[in-house]
Amino acid sequence: MIKTAAIILFSTLSIYAQTEWVKWGKADYSYEIKQSNSHRQYSISGNTAGETALKTLAVGYWFFISDVDGDNCPFSPTCSSFFLQSVKETNIVQGTLMFADRFTRDMDFIDRFSHYPIAKNRHFYDPPSLYTLNNLKIKYIPAGEYVDK
Amino acid sequence: MKNILYLIFILLLFQNYSYTQETDLYSLGNRRLFADFLYCQKDYLRAADEYKEILRLSDSDTLHLKIGLSYLKSGSLDSASVYFGHVKINSLLYDYSRQAYYKCQFLLNHFDIVELGPYYYNPVDKLYKFSSLLGYKELPVNKEKFLRPFEADERRAAFDFYDRKLNPPYKNELTAAVLAALIPGAGKIYTQNYTDGIFAFLATGLMSYISYTDFNAHHQFRGWLFAGLASFFYGGNIYGSIASVQIYNAGINFKLNSDMKFYLEDKNYFVPDYEFCK
Repeated sequence: MIKTAAIILFSTLSIYAQTEWVKWGKADYSYEIKQSNSHRQYSISGNTAGETALKTLAVGYWFFISDVDGDNCPFSPTCSSFFLQSVKETNIVQGTLMFADRFTRDMDFIDRFSHYPIAKNRHFYDPPSLYTLNNLKIKYIPAGEYVDK
Repeated sequence: MKNILYLIFILLLFQNYSYTQETDLYSLGNRRLFADFLYCQKDYLRAADEYKEILRLSDSDTLHLKIGLSYLKSGSLDSASVYFGHVKINSLLYDYSRQAYYKCQFLLNHFDIVELGPYYYNPVDKLYKFSSLLGYKELPVNKEKFLRPFEADERRAAFDFYDRKLNPPYKNELTAAVLAALIPGAGKIYTQNYTDGIFAFLATGLMSYISYTDFNAHHQFRGWLFAGLASFFYGGNIYGSIASVQIYNAGINFKLNSDMKFYLEDKNYFVPDYEFCK
């Protein structure tokens, strides 16, 4: 009688036993904040002499000013990256004008939220493709919307 | 006594078997009820799978329609179109399934198929009119012709969209450039970027003033340096004003399209919901 009861008791326990046999362990999380400039390429070599000169200028700015100053540009891409991308996408004259315009907009610290969407890094998303004067390249994103860029 | 106790234990152990359910859970009726339940719980993909299982055993137009609706609700528009297309022409559900089919084609931006759709279905005609608003074809110049398929309560909204498409409140690039050339920042203000305009004016003005005072003080190098910076901001502002107009106009188009999308969603694309959930 007692034996039978014991068998039933043990079998009941085995029914409710843990079915997950993988041992739980400490998750390998990293709380380190990623550096904002980790995507920057510090190589100064370009396809043309002009590109190399511009890259040298930008890398010099990154190395001596931007990296030391910290993550202060409110835009994504940053103004220096915007300049490089603008020149790459258009030409030196148009790229410089695009940069001048961006630089002026950068001064406006009052009304940014009602103008730009928000990038993944919480900066204002403002890609050069919007300013090449090519309507087909304009992908309009409403201000304040979050973008996966 | 001992034997009786053993008997009780054995009965206890096997009591579960004595109460086993004898109902056939997988009968067609039960499966149909379960699939309807899944659909009404908005578990559309599982509902579609369940309906498809029933369809293997008994073919019916209602099932084709319900599978199509499940796929439509879950956003699998291609699959939905296939099942709506399977409803037979002599079925009572044919008219509804055709309308739902054209709704799918509209959502897939297959406006050419919507154009060839049967116009005696009023919703298809309305969807075709909206496809021209979305840029598929030129808008008909005759406003009455455009508004014909719409009912009285829809006409106001349709006319509003028609008018906004035909006369969009675009800004002019040349005007912005001229304004920016005359008064730095005015081009940005023209495109309603007021603070950008003010900062552009301040930057250009300040650099010009410093350059002017430097030249007056016979500081040639500094004078030219700040003159260069003033030109940099001046040129950038003219360029930026033109770009700003383009972005403004893109915003007008975006607003119109998103307003139309909300309106069509609100109207369920003019195709009434096939309701079978209580």
